[in-house]
Amino acid sequence: MTLRTSLLLMALIHCSHQKVLAEEEGVAFFEAKVRPLLIQHCFECHSSEKKQKGDLTLDSRAGFLKGGESGAAVVPGNPEKSLLIQAVKHEGDYAMPPEKQLAAEEIAVLEKWVSQGAPFPDSGSPLLGMEKKLAQAKTHWSFQPLMKDSLPSVKQTTWVRNEIDHYILASIEAAGLSPAPEADPATLIRRVTFDLLGLPPTPEEVTAFVNNNAPDAYERLVENLLQNKHYGERWGRHWLDLARYADSSGFHNDLDRPWAWKYRDYVVDSFNEDKPYSRFVAEQLAGDEVSEANEQTLIATGFCRNGPSNDDNMGKTAAAIKQYRADQLDDLISTTSSVFLGVTIGCARCHDHKTDPFTAKDYYQLLAIFYGTEKYGLVPGTEDANGVKLKTDAAIQIQALVETKAKVPVTHVMKRGNAMNLGEEVEPAVPAVFDFGQPHFPIPPVDAKSSLRRRTLAEWITSPQNALAWRVLVNRIWQHHFGQGLVRTTSNFGFQGATPSHPELLDYLATRLITQEGRWKPLHKEILLSATYRQASSASAASLERDPENRLLTHMPLRRMEAEVLRDSILAVSGKLNLKFGGPGIKPRLPAELIPTSQRNRWPEVAKEDAQHWRRSLYIYSKRQLLMPIMELFDAPSTNESCATRGESLVPTQSLVLMNDDFVETQAMHFASRVLSQAEPDLPGTIAQMFELAYGRAPHSERLQQAEVFVRSREAQSSRLHALTDLAHVLFNSSEFIYIP
Amino acid sequence: MNLPLNRRALLQASGAGFGMLALQALLNQEGVLAGDASNPLAAKLPQFAPKAKAVIFLFMYGGPSHIDLFDPKPVLSEWHGKPIPVWKTEDAFMGGKTKNVAFASPYQFARHGEAGIEMAETFPHLARHADELCIIRSLHAESNNHGPALFQMNSGFLLAGRPSIGSWVTYGLGSESENLPAYVVLLDHQGAPVNGALNWSNGFMPATYQGVPFRSSGEPIAYLKPPKQVSNDRQRARLDLLKQWNEAYAAANPVESSLNARVNAYELAYRMQMSATECTDLDQETDATQEMYGLQNKVTAHFGRNCLLARRLVERGVRFVQLYSGGNEGPRAWDAHDDLKKNHDLHCQETDRPIAALISDLKARGMLETTLLVWGGEFGRSPVAENGKGRDHHPKGFTMWMCGGGIQGGKVYGATDEFGYAAVEKKVSVPDLHATLLHQLGLNHEQLTYKHSGRDYRLTDVSGQVIREILS
Repeated sequence: MTLRTSLLLMALIHCSHQKVLAEEEGVAFFEAKVRPLLIQHCFECHSSEKKQKGDLTLDSRAGFLKGGESGAAVVPGNPEKSLLIQAVKHEGDYAMPPEKQLAAEEIAVLEKWVSQGAPFPDSGSPLLGMEKKLAQAKTHWSFQPLMKDSLPSVKQTTWVRNEIDHYILASIEAAGLSPAPEADPATLIRRVTFDLLGLPPTPEEVTAFVNNNAPDAYERLVENLLQNKHYGERWGRHWLDLARYADSSGFHNDLDRPWAWKYRDYVVDSFNEDKPYSRFVAEQLAGDEVSEANEQTLIATGFCRNGPSNDDNMGKTAAAIKQYRADQLDDLISTTSSVFLGVTIGCARCHDHKTDPFTAKDYYQLLAIFYGTEKYGLVPGTEDANGVKLKTDAAIQIQALVETKAKVPVTHVMKRGNAMNLGEEVEPAVPAVFDFGQPHFPIPPVDAKSSLRRRTLAEWITSPQNALAWRVLVNRIWQHHFGQGLVRTTSNFGFQGATPSHPELLDYLATRLITQEGRWKPLHKEILLSATYRQASSASAASLERDPENRLLTHMPLRRMEAEVLRDSILAVSGKLNLKFGGPGIKPRLPAELIPTSQRNRWPEVAKEDAQHWRRSLYIYSKRQLLMPIMELFDAPSTNESCATRGESLVPTQSLVLMNDDFVETQAMHFASRVLSQAEPDLPGTIAQMFELAYGRAPHSERLQQAEVFVRSREAQSSRLHALTDLAHVLFNSSEFIYIP
Repeated sequence: MNLPLNRRALLQASGAGFGMLALQALLNQEGVLAGDASNPLAAKLPQFAPKAKAVIFLFMYGGPSHIDLFDPKPVLSEWHGKPIPVWKTEDAFMGGKTKNVAFASPYQFARHGEAGIEMAETFPHLARHADELCIIRSLHAESNNHGPALFQMNSGFLLAGRPSIGSWVTYGLGSESENLPAYVVLLDHQGAPVNGALNWSNGFMPATYQGVPFRSSGEPIAYLKPPKQVSNDRQRARLDLLKQWNEAYAAANPVESSLNARVNAYELAYRMQMSATECTDLDQETDATQEMYGLQNKVTAHFGRNCLLARRLVERGVRFVQLYSGGNEGPRAWDAHDDLKKNHDLHCQETDRPIAALISDLKARGMLETTLLVWGGEFGRSPVAENGKGRDHHPKGFTMWMCGGGIQGGKVYGATDEFGYAAVEKKVSVPDLHATLLHQLGLNHEQLTYKHSGRDYRLTDVSGQVIREILS
C-alpha cells in the first residue's frame, strides 16, 4: 500500500467514524429532548396508533418526511422550509399545537433537531417512550403485589362449595345469570379422569362411581386420581409444551438427541412427586447449581437445551459462530421469560420493547445470567468451527446446560441483536420494572464451579414477592382445567396481554399456591372440588347470548381432546394401549410417502404396528422436521418455541386422517374383536358394551336401534367382525368420542 | 384476524351484484357459513384489487448461480484465477475450500426476445419466453447457510417458527377451492430440502394454513384413500351413520358451534378424496401437452409432472403452489460446490423445458395474467471458486425472476457489482420480494397481521417495500 492510499484510507475511516459519532449524538438529543416533546404535544392527534388529524403521523421519521395533507412536515437540515417549524412558530398556515404555543426553548429544540437532519431512530417506541412505559408499569395489574381481599358475597349460597365458587358466582350473579346445574356422575368421572390422567375411565370405574352414594365419593375419586402415576404423564405433557420439548434438533440435519427423553421422564416424575414449584424451576434453570445437585437435576437443565439447534451447521466463520451462540441464548431467554414470568422480553433483543417496559439493556442483563453456561452432553454429530465432527463422550448420556467456572465472560449489549456489534457492558440483573426487589447476584470465590447466577434468578422467580410469576403459574393450571385461563394470553401478562376475567380469584389462587409451598396437587384438588368445576356443560340461552365466550364460567365448556388424548383414547378403548412408562421415544408407523419429506434422521418404515408402538402418545419421538400427522393436525405444538395454548382447529384433513389412517382402522378392528360375540341375541349387549367403552355411558334406545340396524346391514355384506369394526370406526370418529363434556 | 374485510363485511358489502349473491348462496349451500368462524379457509376478499389469484413459486433449492444463468459478468474472465478486491475471507461458507480466486462462467450468454434479455445457453426453452420475464438481479439475503436461508426465503425469518409465505397467503385469502388444500408443496424426486416440512410450516398459525405435500404419481396426499379393505360403499355407509350421529350431537350441544362445522368437515374430506385424485390424474391431459412438459423424457419427467400438476392445481383454485427443484443437498440440489457446470447442466435440463411449457400453457389458457410465477433459490453463488470449479453459497447479491401475475415482462431490474458479488443497484431484500408477492395478490404486507403471544406479526416484520417499478 502506498503512503498516499493509506492516508486516503485513514481519512475515509476517520470520516465514517465522525459520521457515526454525529449520528449517535443526534439520536441521543432526539431521545432526551425531542421525543418527550412529541409525546407531550403531538401524538395525541398525530400518531399511527391514535387519531391522525390532517393525515399526519409524527411518530416515525417516515411520517415526518411523508407529512400530511399539506406535504412534508420537515425538510431535514432546513428548519425554515419545514412546515413543522412554521407551525410551532405560528408563522404559516398552521398554528400548532392548537391549545397553546410551545415555549421558545422548546421551539429551539425542534429547530436544532431539524437542522441536525431530523434523526429519528426507527427502533424507538412509536407511542410511548420507555419512561412512560415504566410509569405505566407502576399501575399495570400483573406487576402489582397480590391482593388479599375478603371473599365476595353471593346470593345463591347453597350452590357454593368452596372459596373459588364465591368469586365465580359473584360475577355470574352480577351479570344477572345463573350457574349450570351439577353434571351427572358419569359425566363427572369422565371429565375429571381425562383432566388428570388424559385417559378415559373404564366402564367398571364409571359404574362403581355412579353407584357410590357416599357423600365424599367424588372427593375420594379426585384424591385417587391425583395419586395415579398417569397424572404425571398428563400434566407433564402440559409442561413439555411450554418447554418446547423435542427429540431432534430441527434445522439442517435434524440431529437425533438420544438423551432428550430423560428430561421428559424427569418432568413426569416431578409432577408425580408433586415437587414444590421453586425447586422445579431451580432444577430446570440451574440444576448444576442447586443444593443436592445430582444427575436428575442436571437432566432437568434439559429445559435450557430443548430449543432447536444447529450445532453441526452453524457456519464456519467467527461471526457466524458468535451469532449462533446469541441465537441459542435468545431461545433460552425468550423461553424463560415467557414461561416463568409471562412477559415477552425476547422482543427487546434488537431494540427496546415496542410496547412493554423492557429495554434492550434489560434483555442483555438477563443474557448475562446465562452467559457463562455451556452445553454438557453434546448431540452426536456436533461439529466444531472447522466442520470437524466433535468426539462425544460416550459416558455422558444426558443433555444439560452447566457452568464450570466462577467467572462469566463480560457481557455486552449487542446492538440490533448483532453479536458482532457490541454496545455497553452489562451486569446480571432482572428487568428494572420488577421493583419488588432485585436479586443479589453473588460474587463467587474464584475457585467456585459456577457463578450461581441462574440459581439466584430461579430463587427470585419463585420468591413469594414475585406476584407475577405465581399469577402466571396458577393461570396455567386453571387453563388446563377449564380450557382457558382467567387471563387468556397465558404467556403474556404485559401491556398487550389480556386482562384477567376474575382478578381477585387469580390472586386468591396464587396466594393459596404459595401457602402450599408451590405444590400443585392441593390446588388441583381445591379447583376440582369446586361447584364451578362440577357444572354441566350445557348453557342457558341467556348465558349463551350474554356471555358467548363463557368468560364468566356459567357452565363447563365442551372441549375437544388434545391430539395425545385422542390417540391414547383410541388405544385405551381398543384394549391395545401399552401403559409402559418412560424411556426412549417410540416411532409409530408413518405413511411411506411422508418419510422422504424429511431426509435427515429418517423415520423408519414400519410395516405393521404392534404393542411397542401402542404406547401413550407422550412417548412418540418428537422429530422436528416431521411431526406425526395425527399429532400435528390436532394441534400438538410445533416445538420450535414455547407453546402456552394449543389451538382447537377444525380442518378436513383431520377428518381424512381419522377416516383413512391405517392406525384407526386397525384399532377399530381390535375394538370390535374385544367385544365380539357371534351369538345373535347378544348384539344389543355388544353394542351397549361398545358405547360404554367409547362414551362411558349406555346407548339410549334410539341410538341402540340405529346401531343395530347398521351392524345387521353391514354384516349382510361381510361378517360380524367387519360390521362391528365399521361401528367401532364410527364411534372413534364421532363428536361424542372426541369432545369431553 | 385483522383484515379490514372479514367475511361478515364481505357479505354486508355484497348487497348488489349477482356475483356476490351467487357466492353467498354457494357458501350457504356448502355449509361454510354454518357455525360461523369455524371455517378458516373460507374464501376471503383481498384488501384491494389483486392482479394475481395464485402464485407458483419455482424454488430452485440449493442456490442457483446468478452469475452463470441470468447475470453475466464478463469481467470475471479477465480476473479468472486471480483474487478479486471485493471478496472477504468471511464471505466463504466452506471456509477451507473456497479461495479468493475468480471463476469465469463456463457458459455462453446471448440476448433473447425483443427486450434482449441476457440468459445462459442452459435455458434454450425458457429463452423463448424472455419477453415474459422480469429478471431481478439485485436480491440479497442474510444467511449463507441453507437452513436459515431457506427459512428466510420461505418465512422472512432466519429461524424456524414463523409461518411460511404460503401460510400467510392462505390466511389472508382463504381457499378458492372447495375440495383441495389452499397451499400445496411439490417436491423434487430427490426428496425434501433440508429443514424438511418446516419449510412449509404454518409457524404459530393453526395447522390449517400449513402447506400440504402432494405427489404427482401414486397417492397424491397421505391419508387420501382408506385402507384397501375399505371399499367406497363401506366407507360411505360409515360416513352416513357418522353424519347422523354427529348432527344429533351438535343439535344437543348448541354450546359448541364447531360441532356443526365438524359434520361438514367430513363431507368435505370425502369429496377431497375424489377431487384430489382427479386433479393429479395427468392422463387426462393430451399427448401434446404431456410432450410439451417433457413427461416422456426421463430427465424432465419428474419436474414436468410437477409443473403440469401445478397448473392443474391453480386451475382448480389452489392459491399457492411451491414447487421444489432439488432435494436433499449437495449435487442433488442446485448446490454446486464441487463442479458448477456438471451440477447446473443437470438441473437446468431437468427444469428448462417444463418451466417453458408451464409459461406457454398458462398463457394459452389465459391464466398467466392471474398467476404469478416466481423463480429462484435461497441465495446465489460466489464469484470465486470453490475447489477450482465449483461455487460457494453467496447471499449478498443474486437473481430471481417473476413472470405473469401483473409483473412487467422483458425487464431487467437492479444490478450487482461488476463481479456479481453484491447487489448494488435497486437492491431487493427478501421482505421486499415478499411484500411484492403479497401486493400482487391484493394483500398489503403492512396490514396483513397475525396476533401471536400479544404481538401483531407480519411476514415482512418491520421492513419490506413493494417493488413498484416492475408492476405492469
